[in-house]
Amino acid sequence: MKRFIRQLFIFLFTIALIGCGKQADNGKGAQGDGSKKKSRGLIGATCMNIANPFFKVIEENMRDEAAKHGYDLIYLGCEMDISKQQKQIQDFLAKGVVAVAVNPKDSKAIGTSVKECNNANVPVFSFDVRVQAPDAKVVSHVGTDNFQGGELAGEAMIKALGEAGGKVVVIDFRAAESCIERVKGFKKVIDAYNAERESGKIEIAAELSGEGLRDKGFKAAEDALQQVPDMRGIFAINDPSGLGAVGALEKAGKLEQVTVIAFDGMPAGKQAIKDGKIYADPVQHPDKIGRECIRAIVSHLSGEEVPANVNIPASLYTKETADKDTSLN
Amino acid sequence: MSALGKILRKPIEFVSGEYGMAAVLLLLCILFSVLTIEEKSPEGTKAGNKLTDDIVKLIEQDSVNFPKEIRVFIAAGKGKSGEDFVDSLGKGLDSKGINVIGKAVGDTLRIKKAIQATGEIDLIATTSLMRNFPVFDSFLGEEREVIRASSMVVNDTLIKGEKTTLIAPRTYLWPIFLTPVNLRNITSQIAVIAILAIGMTMVIITAGIDLSVGSMIALSAVVATSIIEKMGGAAEAGTSVFLIASLAGVLVCTLSGAFTGIMVSQFSIPPFIATLAMMQVLRGIAFKIANNETISDVPANFQWLGNGLSYGIPNCVILMIILYTLAHIMMNKTQLGRYIYAIGANAEASRMSGISPKKIKLIVYAICGATAGLGGIVMASQLQSGAGNYGVTYELMVIAAVVVGGTSLFGGKGKVLGTLIGAFIIAVITNGMNLLLLGSETQMIVLGLVILVAILIERLRSGEWRNAVGG
Repeated sequence: MKRFIRQLFIFLFTIALIGCGKQADNGKGAQGDGSKKKSRGLIGATCMNIANPFFKVIEENMRDEAAKHGYDLIYLGCEMDISKQQKQIQDFLAKGVVAVAVNPKDSKAIGTSVKECNNANVPVFSFDVRVQAPDAKVVSHVGTDNFQGGELAGEAMIKALGEAGGKVVVIDFRAAESCIERVKGFKKVIDAYNAERESGKIEIAAELSGEGLRDKGFKAAEDALQQVPDMRGIFAINDPSGLGAVGALEKAGKLEQVTVIAFDGMPAGKQAIKDGKIYADPVQHPDKIGRECIRAIVSHLSGEEVPANVNIPASLYTKETADKDTSLN
Repeated sequence: MSALGKILRKPIEFVSGEYGMAAVLLLLCILFSVLTIEEKSPEGTKAGNKLTDDIVKLIEQDSVNFPKEIRVFIAAGKGKSGEDFVDSLGKGLDSKGINVIGKAVGDTLRIKKAIQATGEIDLIATTSLMRNFPVFDSFLGEEREVIRASSMVVNDTLIKGEKTTLIAPRTYLWPIFLTPVNLRNITSQIAVIAILAIGMTMVIITAGIDLSVGSMIALSAVVATSIIEKMGGAAEAGTSVFLIASLAGVLVCTLSGAFTGIMVSQFSIPPFIATLAMMQVLRGIAFKIANNETISDVPANFQWLGNGLSYGIPNCVILMIILYTLAHIMMNKTQLGRYIYAIGANAEASRMSGISPKKIKLIVYAICGATAGLGGIVMASQLQSGAGNYGVTYELMVIAAVVVGGTSLFGGKGKVLGTLIGAFIIAVITNGMNLLLLGSETQMIVLGLVILVAILIERLRSGEWRNAVGG
């Protein structure tokens, strides 16, 4: 009898589980009921990591925008597994999506999946990270305008250093195209500023690699302090390396002397701005990235010409912004 | 025993019986088939012929709105299916004396321009998939009315606008799960894990475990792609280079596996610890060889193994079937196979009876390395590139496939073909959930619970659970 009860338990568990699957499906159906009548089709989107709040914001805005135009959306994360992302795209094609939006985990390895979509004549759009594989056709890329973000950082640096000018150090990450763009934008503004004046120029005294990581940023800033002891500013291409630099400056007791500007506006970066450790951050706008990506898809399906690059401008996040930011303490 | 008990006894015994896992797989397939029944669009020539008949019928039945002189424009997406649709529909309408004033095959931009250039159109004929595309909105106008004349059209395929009307072939209901494309997807998607699971089954039958297989995927992929890169790259590397590179990848992993085997057998390091260490070491080496980048200087031909088809079957699936056949024969018909079971069931007893557990273990870990290496080659081929971060946490999926397939973690018991079924159960669930549009979070929960249930059922079948709790 005891044995029978256990067997019954397992049997019911199985049934319940299958039931769960069904219920989840019904839930989805009910949700789509409003638009069901005139649903124009399904858009399949996959991002590199659903656990990252950045991609969660993109999802919410994509979902909202897709519903507005009468489309259904499936949004999956591949948890940093490129092979999983490939499978998700294959399943999108089997399901019969009208368009694929991809945030490649790996710009190169995603190539085979994009080509598969090309062969199936399903248009592909990329967001946040570009596809960089030969022969893989993407209709449009929607992402932050990193060059413009770099310009913002340059302007902020000019403002922070004032008339005196001085030496600054760039902590970069040359393996990422987006970070190279940020430095280019930064340099452009600084060069233009220097061209107009005789004294108080801003000199980029050193460019060191922080690999976009906190510990490497720390080390790069320590090295920079040796090379350029009289530096007045640091531009780090993202928040982790910027926070690393802050750590090194605190350790050397030079945080007062050096203005740090980073990039991204991650919560920890924003907090550092509020605490006065980082001067300012150009921040990305995932909400706009999500919306513009769906708009690009809808425009394309409407037979309109879509630009190959949809640049979402970054905006500057300063202490003033941080003081009003209720998400910080 | 209650009456209810008598009724339920049969299905319970079936699910927990000898073919339990196969039954679960079958049930899952049926479940997903039912749940994914959706509108499906006819394609190509078939769609064109169907629509010809519908348009002819439309003119016969409603000659007021659709006189014989109507001007028809045909539009379809690019590709063979679209071209076939436009050709067959154009020919069909011509033969019935209906006026086709324009045709367009291509993306939405091209279709829009073509329609604008054509002038007045009474009827736009397009594919079912495209019928709701916004590209047609401006031609249909604001006042659109979906006609559902039951004798004639189902599923919103006739949309009457102010001046122009849109018509598309009727759709039909079909389980998306059972389409050939999807079935091919499932098999090729599980190939890597299934191939790795062969070696893992043998290791687990010896009461061991190998946590380093995920890292070996990366190692093998990186070794192979870097050799291809060095020996000609995308421009020059040919089949012989692919073979050399693949063999090198597999060989490196086989040797790594053998090394682990020595650690486990000669130095009696617990397999969990030895392979955990190797997992770190091998992934580090893979990252180093790849220089922390993705090696993608690989010719498109290299995809043959991972993405190519022979007689409609993915090549990697053919490889998988061959490997399972060999492994099944090895485990059931050869002395080595019997020894593997023997040392798993009781290492001491088998040593007493003249089998060398050390030698067998070394061989088993080497085989596990070899299958992991092969899996890595398949993944490199599927992605046409190699990187150090391939296959992270795959060891857990592989172990899940083995255990779901009925192999006991305590050793001595298990079947290679059971593992294949286990791998397919996991593949079918993942694929089915994607088709059902479940979000990533839900997918994780369901997959975890299914693995748990499968193992519970297996426990029940083998009676281990019963013995453990003294029932």
